[in-house]
Amino acid sequence: MFKELDPLLHSQLRLAIMSLLISLAQADFVFLKEKTNSTSGNLSVQLDKLSEAGYIKIEKGYKGKKPRTTCQITPLGRKAFENYLEALKTYF
Amino acid sequence: MEEKKLTQQESLELISKMIKETHTNIEKGGGNIFLLWGYLWLVVALVVYTAILQTGDYRAQWLWFAMPIIGYPSMYFMLKRQEKMAVTFVSKTISKIWIVMGTCALLLSLFILINPAAFPILFVMALIINAGVALSGLVLEYKIISVVGFIGILLSFALLMIPGINKILVFAIFPIIMLIIPGHILNSARNV
Repeated sequence: MFKELDPLLHSQLRLAIMSLLISLAQADFVFLKEKTNSTSGNLSVQLDKLSEAGYIKIEKGYKGKKPRTTCQITPLGRKAFENYLEALKTYF
Repeated sequence: MEEKKLTQQESLELISKMIKETHTNIEKGGGNIFLLWGYLWLVVALVVYTAILQTGDYRAQWLWFAMPIIGYPSMYFMLKRQEKMAVTFVSKTISKIWIVMGTCALLLSLFILINPAAFPILFVMALIINAGVALSGLVLEYKIISVVGFIGILLSFALLMIPGINKILVFAIFPIIMLIIPGHILNSARNV
């Protein structure tokens, strides 16, 4: 029996972001942008969606004079990612 | 990368690719902290040894305090300057190990000011730092660093057996094996 895949994670960029964050304690916006090869605008929108769902925590601050946005996965996000993987297994 | 729906197969491939990306992201300057403390330790130990040898005045031991005075602010600025785009769980764990080791080393060196005969300071310091190196190696799963750490723990006990000023000279050899060589190995590993 196929399990339903979390629609929030079953999208290319959001899944890429979560896959990166699951293995890291934290990552900044530039790192995510480079690794996912996405545009700033699109990345921003997807990060906000994940943050609104409580899957990631976003912190905005400064490094010297430069603005810096860092992201980390929340326990809820980790659980959602694990559930997504479990659901994915049912398709194979 | 656009926001497109994926097939199940594509999902798996994407997850696997992204996780691999984080593995190849060895942090820049991973060995620099080892090098900072290694060279500082080497230079201060040689200066103390030479000063005592030349003057016979054991007050030259006060020069050991150059290590925390120079080392801690330098480490603070070095860490602040590092561009850490992503923090791995491994690097976070290693930082915490060294916070504990550094606090112990600092408190012990302050206590020795109150009671200089309380414990053999060179032995205790070598033991703490080598334990830190061994733990870092184990967490990093870097065999050579773990091995030199454990060798260092073992060699620390030699400091209890060597008499007089010569133990400072032996203490000066420790950072070359335990910090300087692993530091250069770590830095060259990230350049691969």
